[in-house]
Amino acid sequence: MPYFCGIDTGGTFTDCVVMDEQGHITIAKSPSTPKDFAEGFFNALEVAAEKIALTLPQLLQQTRLLLHGTTVGTNAIVQLKGVKTGLITTRGHGDALIMMRSVGRSAGLPIEQLLHVSRHQKPAPIIPRSLIQEVSERVDWKGDVVLPLNEEEAQAAIRFLLDQQVEGIAISFLWGFVNPSHELAVRSMVHDLAPQMFVTCAHELIAKPGEYERTAATAINCFIGPGSSGYIQRVQERAKQLGYQHPLLIMQASGGVATAQEAARKPLFTIGSGPVGGVIGSKFLAETLGHPNVIASDVGGTSFDVGIISNGVPLTSSETIIHQYVFFMPQLDIQSIGSGGGSVIWIDELSNTMKVGPQSAGADPGPACYNRGGEEPTITDANVILGYVNPDNFLGGKYHLDRSSSLRALQRMADRLGMDVVETASGAVQIVEFHMADLMRQMTVQRGLDPRDFVVYAYGGGGPVHAVSYSRELGCKTIVIPLGSVASTWSALGIQSADLLHVYEKAELLIAPFAPERMNTIFADLEEKGRTQLREDGIADADMRFLRTVDMKFRLQIHRVEVPVSDGTLQAEDATQLMQTFADKYDALYGKGSAFKDAGMEIGVFRVAAIGTIQRPALSQQGRRGGETVVTHRDVYWRDLKHFTSTPIYDGAQLAARVRIAGPAIIEMPETTIVLHPGSEGQLDGYGNFVIALR
Amino acid sequence: MSQTTVKWDGRTYPYIPPKQLNVYASLSLHTEAEEKIDPVTYEVVRHAMWNINVEHGNTIMKISGSPSCAYGHDFNPSLMDEHGDFVFFGPFLQYLSSATGSAVKWTMEYRSDNPGIHDGDIFLTNDPWIGATHQSDVALIAPVFWEGKLFCWVGNTLHQWDMGGTAPGGFNPMAADVFWESGCIPPIKIVEGGMLRKDLEEEYMRRSRMPQLVALDLRAEIAGCNVARERLLALIARYGAATVKGVMRKLQDDSEKAFLKRLETIPDGTWRESSWIELKGPGDRHLYRNALSLTKRGSTLVFSNEGSDPQDGTLNCTLVAWKGAIASMVCSQMLFDQMFVVEGAYRHMEFDVTPGTISCATFPAAVSAAPPGVLLQTIALSGLVISKMLSCSSDEQLRTEVQSCMGAAMYPVCAFNGIDQRGAPYASFLLDPVGAALAGLSWKDGVDTGGWPWDLQSTMPNVEDNEWFYPILYLWRKELVNSGGAGKYRGGNSGELAFIPHGTEHISLFTASGHCAVPGPGLHGGLSPATTKFRLQRGAEVRQQLHATRRMPTSAEELQGKTEFVAPKAFDVSQTPADAFLLSWAGAGGYGDPFERDPARVVLDVQRGNVTQAWAHEAYGVVLDPQGEADLAATGKLRTKLRKARLRNAIKRERRKVEATRALRVAEGLLLADGQLACSKCEHEICASTENYKLHCVLIERPVKATNPYVLDPKVYVDDKMVFRNYACPSCGLLLQTEMARPSDPPLWDIQLAG
Repeated sequence: MPYFCGIDTGGTFTDCVVMDEQGHITIAKSPSTPKDFAEGFFNALEVAAEKIALTLPQLLQQTRLLLHGTTVGTNAIVQLKGVKTGLITTRGHGDALIMMRSVGRSAGLPIEQLLHVSRHQKPAPIIPRSLIQEVSERVDWKGDVVLPLNEEEAQAAIRFLLDQQVEGIAISFLWGFVNPSHELAVRSMVHDLAPQMFVTCAHELIAKPGEYERTAATAINCFIGPGSSGYIQRVQERAKQLGYQHPLLIMQASGGVATAQEAARKPLFTIGSGPVGGVIGSKFLAETLGHPNVIASDVGGTSFDVGIISNGVPLTSSETIIHQYVFFMPQLDIQSIGSGGGSVIWIDELSNTMKVGPQSAGADPGPACYNRGGEEPTITDANVILGYVNPDNFLGGKYHLDRSSSLRALQRMADRLGMDVVETASGAVQIVEFHMADLMRQMTVQRGLDPRDFVVYAYGGGGPVHAVSYSRELGCKTIVIPLGSVASTWSALGIQSADLLHVYEKAELLIAPFAPERMNTIFADLEEKGRTQLREDGIADADMRFLRTVDMKFRLQIHRVEVPVSDGTLQAEDATQLMQTFADKYDALYGKGSAFKDAGMEIGVFRVAAIGTIQRPALSQQGRRGGETVVTHRDVYWRDLKHFTSTPIYDGAQLAARVRIAGPAIIEMPETTIVLHPGSEGQLDGYGNFVIALR
Repeated sequence: MSQTTVKWDGRTYPYIPPKQLNVYASLSLHTEAEEKIDPVTYEVVRHAMWNINVEHGNTIMKISGSPSCAYGHDFNPSLMDEHGDFVFFGPFLQYLSSATGSAVKWTMEYRSDNPGIHDGDIFLTNDPWIGATHQSDVALIAPVFWEGKLFCWVGNTLHQWDMGGTAPGGFNPMAADVFWESGCIPPIKIVEGGMLRKDLEEEYMRRSRMPQLVALDLRAEIAGCNVARERLLALIARYGAATVKGVMRKLQDDSEKAFLKRLETIPDGTWRESSWIELKGPGDRHLYRNALSLTKRGSTLVFSNEGSDPQDGTLNCTLVAWKGAIASMVCSQMLFDQMFVVEGAYRHMEFDVTPGTISCATFPAAVSAAPPGVLLQTIALSGLVISKMLSCSSDEQLRTEVQSCMGAAMYPVCAFNGIDQRGAPYASFLLDPVGAALAGLSWKDGVDTGGWPWDLQSTMPNVEDNEWFYPILYLWRKELVNSGGAGKYRGGNSGELAFIPHGTEHISLFTASGHCAVPGPGLHGGLSPATTKFRLQRGAEVRQQLHATRRMPTSAEELQGKTEFVAPKAFDVSQTPADAFLLSWAGAGGYGDPFERDPARVVLDVQRGNVTQAWAHEAYGVVLDPQGEADLAATGKLRTKLRKARLRNAIKRERRKVEATRALRVAEGLLLADGQLACSKCEHEICASTENYKLHCVLIERPVKATNPYVLDPKVYVDDKMVFRNYACPSCGLLLQTEMARPSDPPLWDIQLAG
């Protein structure tokens, strides 16, 4: 039987989801192995194999597709553990990477740090000035050569870097994406001297103006390149040895997968792919359930991540900030704040008020209730005190939590605030849930979307615990806890459900009225690139889709809007229609009357998303037995009632479909807990999703 | 004008709100505030209010879509209580804060009777004597009513494309007075009971060269106010008016507490700083003094502009702008952990101003050029006087906020226009100097091309962005080695760019700036940074050079032709394809005597290309061995020799050593012990603390250009004579302070401790 396997390597656990031909799902977890993540990868697969009574080689021999989300690239950049890298760039512009457009001193900082100017600092350079080599050459915005490449200077630069024993060379010239001849010439010169050198040309990664962001992306790609590609190759070879006969596919931040070969050349695009799986999984499920608008929310131990699916399409962004470096790459727009189970509850001395996060107790020492030396109370401690989380059944009973430690830690806090310990716990949870709701509000309202039109998908260890509160705060009416127990390995499922995706862009300024001939030429060119790549990936032409978009804006205004463009040969009417579509979309996003139409419109970027659809089984309806199983009752504190109430506790694993459970109630799933506040009501659907209605 | 005719009402003289606002009786204020709020409600409401202000700002950005908003951050939303006192101000341009509060207070005093302040109203003003930094910054303020009472205010300021007047964009370098500039609008009720007044809107648009864009920005500002008001009302409905008001009060009170706690660690005294701005207009060749002093008396800070030169030409700035400049550094250095709730400080700040000066202009002086000139320079001066005060704090943490002069302390405006490479007319100005440089601090170097302290997210455009939009080809854009002021902790280096016309036959350039003739100050012995330089290399013929050499030049020295330094107030300067234009902007000031810098840091700077070996030798007294490492023995010798040289003119007399363990540090180089000021390095006394220590230091007078390799002889730009004074410890030669002065100026008594 052919299987589809998704493996998601996280900081603590490596999750595995295996789907069979009938759409049945098996999940497995195994500790991650930071020394060599490949080990954890195969351990997780092996655990899954055992659950379906197979050996690891048997499973891999029958696997149709192996899809993987890796944090190796992200870790390398976050910890600044990459290889010694050199940069060859246009003479006179080597400082672009050092200056970081000035904003590098504060880019991406949370507000508290942003306000503290005396602490602002640019990060240590990925490539120090001593390894930045400037070469005489110059191309202008049109692609015309103003100064030919000075080959003697290029030779000298390459030899210098080789003498310095760099392990990667980034090549980025001004306007190299318009006319790549100089970048290509230098690359071939590098390979003449050092055939094995990891080389990245900027124009291959990004085709947009902005030398800082393009150079930063190229530098980072080289910096993490050898390490990431080594890892990917190890996994691929081992899988092959064990009998896997198809390509290994790697999750990209864009929401699609790429072949291992492609990912090894462009590991940049895997950066930040961690939370992407969850959103793609939500999209997959939302298509099955018929939900066009979804807020995908993930509560982990240290962070709260939110992605938005609007009209069936995940929202994307083109700019990423990591480690205060800003760079361009197509990716799902996922925003995070430091709110999770491990968020520390603390007191601001001066105002004597309670704060939660953004610091986290992490996994080690972890919350006070772990009894691993953590003294500071966390949200998990508060959840234990309030009775939301069962100390004896945390993560399926793998850990025992010590409620008395939670109480001790929070009592200290309560004493200083002059409050009752339960009030304090409830207050802390309320604060963190409001922070979560605020982020979701920002992600919708500020993009011209009304959160009340959305269904909330809540996953990650803490999503089901807090979802009722934060969703109600936004006025949402429906929550889906996806596939019950799969919620905790949701990213792996998302990875398993992803399609191949390559994004091609071309920056060219076109001023309205747009010439359809020029647009046709550009799109034909971009689609050809996509077709070539997808064929290389082994995708049949029938399974290819090309989605065209352009970035448009009103002149004299700054907002770029991505507008879909119709297929086929474009006519004058299509170009006119495009202007109308843009104007409508602009109104919807930024409000009626916000467009300054008199200034005219322009296109800045042409884009083709080349998608290689992977045929997969549909999700199966699960025949479930059992019934409404109240396992026990426990005293749980409900904020609305302001007291502890004896509350029914259900065993999620035993629950039958379509049995309505009204809050207040707790449903304990193997890896998480669903908290049904008064005024909410939920039931399992046929697929095993727990669907909550809010009143 | 005699003192009796002075009325601080925002007409001739700037508006100074009285302690108790004079509000018309029919306007009743909601003052009830819950005093005991549980910590959870407090945190939830506080967070919600901050987010309401953020959403207010985002709404403006969203609707306006204006580049000055998105890239220049030239706007800010605010939330104020029923008296116009600040609750929250956004994380954008900080100097705009005083404008909004001032506009609200004036409106309450002068508009509550006629036309009255009612639910659903919004007032608009751009009057720099009332509530704007200059006429292009238009403030909108909206009262929020609850149950018939004025509960609080929301408001915002946004820079406009064009508000009319004799020059596009509002700034005319020839302006003799404000009537040459965009007109001033004292607060008018543009929205009445929720309805935008058509008559006033048209009156407002009519003045502009770009009426549609101005109308769009107006809608953006109104929408921002409306969103904030609606969300505040929802918050009040949910938590109760008294509770929400109580949270506002607590935020202000907590910020005040933090501020006072910090003040308690500082002795009373007066700290002074002054700097120079050149050319009141094209053709002028003089320097003008911008002076700022800060006096701390108990729990009060008094800021004064005493010693500033009389208002003249286009140099001037109004009180509103000047206060905003000061507030931005008070927030940055003293309220960084209070979400910039500036009200906590405002309650203890007084402004003792001499009107009719460049920093407190009276109507009808020309004031539209204030932001890039005196306003920015005042931010730099504020940072310096506050730093001098904080240097005396007993709180070690607080002393880490001590910093020298920020980079690009006057903005090098370089506007250019012509026909672009696609054949269309264009006009714009260079935003590259936004990558200013942060000052050297008391514990670390300034950030190279690190922007400004008052714009938290300063962002330079990419070279490709500018080449895409304008007919120019950059030869280089780089950090300028040595441009940060030397010091124990050096100032951040600034940058330099050079371009030639590309795809056009002619570019017309305009400049407006300062710090070309005389650089900004260093602190506590730190040296001044590089000056700003606009220059044309006439007849450079770069294209021919490229063809002949196949090599891109990367510095002025590599260019041919004749150098022409462009004055910092120049208009319609022509650049042809044969000419290269170069702009380098002022770096940030250094902190502390450069000879005290750890040689290892100097070596690192040389290795990283931040400092040249020659400057390491000259400014820092550091000798490098052939391997490029510090030769410590030779360095020690050189430094001793250079310190001795400083002592050449010292008056030799017996000086007592103070007991350092009982001393209080009042500056990097000064100790206070038993009423005596002493050197912190050799611990020998200098003078009584009631005297100006500079009079007892050894004075080394040097030419201005000795402070930094990029500084030119001021006579390139001005006729005034200037000197660079170095004040050193008469016993050991430690450099204690430097200043730029006219030869006739007495030494500035910059650290004057009380009693």
